[in-house]
Amino acid sequence: MSGGGRGWDGRFPGFDVLDQAPHWDRVTADVVLARTDTPTAVKFFTEPEEACARALLNLLTGQDGHDGELAVPVLEMVDSRLAAGETDGWRYDDMPEDGQAWRNTLVLLDADARQLSGTAFADAPPADQARLVQAVQDLASGNWHGLPAAHVWSLWTRYACTAFYAHPFAWAEIGFPGPAYPRGYKNTGVGKLEPFEVGDAHPSEDPVREGA
Amino acid sequence: MNVRARNESAWLLPNDGTRTNHRLRRDMRQFADSDEIDLVIVGCGAGGSVMLQRLARAGWRVAALDAGPFWDPDTDWVSDEAGSHHLYWTDPRVIAGSDPVPMGSNNSGRGVGGSMVHYAGYTPRFHPSDFATNTVDGVGADWPLSYPELRPYYEQIEQELPVAGERWPWGDPHGYPYRPHPVGGNGEVFLRGAGKLGITAKVGPVAIVNGRFGNRPHCIYRGFCLQGCKVNAKASPLITHVPDALAHGAEVRPDAMVTQIAVDSRTGRALGVHYVTGGRERFQRARMVAVAGYSIETPRLLLNSASSRFPEGLCNDFDQVGRYLMVQGAPQTAGRFDAEVRMYKAPPPEVSTEAFYETDAAKDYKRGFSIQTVSPLPITWAEHVAAQGHWGPALREYMSDYVHWSCLGGLCEFLPRPENRVTLAGEKDSYGLPVARFSYSQCDNDRALARAAQSVMEGILHAAGADEVITIQRYAHLVGGARMAEDEQHGVVDRYGRSFAVPNLYITDGSVLPTQGSANPALTIMAVAARTAHHLAAGLS
Repeated sequence: MSGGGRGWDGRFPGFDVLDQAPHWDRVTADVVLARTDTPTAVKFFTEPEEACARALLNLLTGQDGHDGELAVPVLEMVDSRLAAGETDGWRYDDMPEDGQAWRNTLVLLDADARQLSGTAFADAPPADQARLVQAVQDLASGNWHGLPAAHVWSLWTRYACTAFYAHPFAWAEIGFPGPAYPRGYKNTGVGKLEPFEVGDAHPSEDPVREGA
Repeated sequence: MNVRARNESAWLLPNDGTRTNHRLRRDMRQFADSDEIDLVIVGCGAGGSVMLQRLARAGWRVAALDAGPFWDPDTDWVSDEAGSHHLYWTDPRVIAGSDPVPMGSNNSGRGVGGSMVHYAGYTPRFHPSDFATNTVDGVGADWPLSYPELRPYYEQIEQELPVAGERWPWGDPHGYPYRPHPVGGNGEVFLRGAGKLGITAKVGPVAIVNGRFGNRPHCIYRGFCLQGCKVNAKASPLITHVPDALAHGAEVRPDAMVTQIAVDSRTGRALGVHYVTGGRERFQRARMVAVAGYSIETPRLLLNSASSRFPEGLCNDFDQVGRYLMVQGAPQTAGRFDAEVRMYKAPPPEVSTEAFYETDAAKDYKRGFSIQTVSPLPITWAEHVAAQGHWGPALREYMSDYVHWSCLGGLCEFLPRPENRVTLAGEKDSYGLPVARFSYSQCDNDRALARAAQSVMEGILHAAGADEVITIQRYAHLVGGARMAEDEQHGVVDRYGRSFAVPNLYITDGSVLPTQGSANPALTIMAVAARTAHHLAAGLS
């Protein structure tokens, strides 16, 4: 996919969540701004796992290398959660605990890639990567190498989305201003903006309606 | 009696812009493990905190042990979704059944204040019909108590939280102590769509201060209710009951995980609780034990407290512990508008309708559902979008449309079923205790309710002008698992929360509820606990 024509580009011109950081409470600012620091070294994933997980997570979050400095380090964010054992507080009875489930599914994804492309998943052509991932989603309630595909899909997308949409860069492209304490909001209601919010430049261009 | 005279919590908080009365905590009474206190409470959430406050006021020597921290909203909580992960109970749990229920952020709190720290803030009452669904509708169960017996406690708690909302026309019609909040974009959409269809919808009821209450300030419409209220505007027991309890000599012992209830094998009476704090195993003696660990941890603790007298788990002679655990079906339907709704501005809980709450003879299902605004923040919204099957560029594109969406949630009265239950898994937690395994499966009536709620929400959003609607199937809340009943063959506790098996063991949390209605359970959990506390306090005096 090319960098120019993406449907999420340029909807909120000039809007940068970080502009408001001086107005956030200190504790929140520390937590949020730390996400924009250089990512810490990978601790949980082994090297081959890391390569596979990075390719998978970037694929799931639409990060194709065209974002330049605005890339969200989803791999590192997921890795640090898994290293700290920060699960969602449950697992399906037909899946291993999350850390082990990640390791197992990455091995399986690499095996699928070797069969389709003759390489590890990370080195497979982008079209093959997309096909392999789509195949897991398409299994729906079926079985993927002995695991329930829907539960694998849930694991991957849950961790990917939680990491990606925790990042201020991701908030900027959806028009969400992030932390709101202690200032709160004064102009609530349909069509109302705060001085620091930026309206959608293309409000009637529902990207989904176009794509449908 | 005015509220302050019976619960001074809101006046015991600071009024200088900080949120915690540190002096009250520093000067807190501390009992020794060897003291035989009057009551030890396991869990300091909705049920446990009300017990603590009421019985401290009655002069009891009472302590509440909580597995999590004693929160300070200023330093422990953030205005951020991912940064609030520590508010949830995330110790391992296994989910199973044909329709497994995710735990954690959705329904499980941790620390003083419990799940009310991160609940949305809706505090509707149950309807009178909820207490006799078996007799009236032929489904569910009858409670061993009736609505009028609970009403005075509903009124007390509504004043203590306090609740804001319009006059409530459903169930037992009633008013609220505080006027309704102004609504944001999402509430506006709901009211407009419902109005066009002739569906009555009302603003409230929310336990969020509208105006000042004691030293608690007005809501600032920040939208982060589910991440813990840094303002002290949204009610949780941390600020509505714990301060008054401490001022009356109660102890809150945070970071203390209760691992087992000890019962004397000769007398059959509870002796106290084993707990772990700071890596050390300890034992608190008590004349009476109240368990308030909510619908997963309460049954788990009973099952983990097996002994020679109770080989299948404490209070489990009739295989009732852990059963009839309920969750509400919570389909979440969103609609897309060209105008910007920006649903993150204003509290997620704004507007509700209970017009579909009771059985409608014209429908092919029993009981009903309510509909409320929900307003997910980006991570939760991404879950909604990803559930449509989008990933990669499609996900990003869809997500970039966030400000145009309005989002409603249904609460469907899924029925209590014996096979929906907590048992012990083979796996152990960091304390070496078997973790809970929660198996959940829906029945046909449940599925019919979820479909009906989705269809009404789609109708409301279309009527308001939405050009597209999308739905994700979710669950909300937990109740049951140690229900009250007329006798020991049908439940774990009696109408006052006293266990049938152990005369000085009470359960005072959401697990005692025999049905769940279509109402958010926090207010009812508190009211039932207040009734138990009143009964106990009266008995001692």
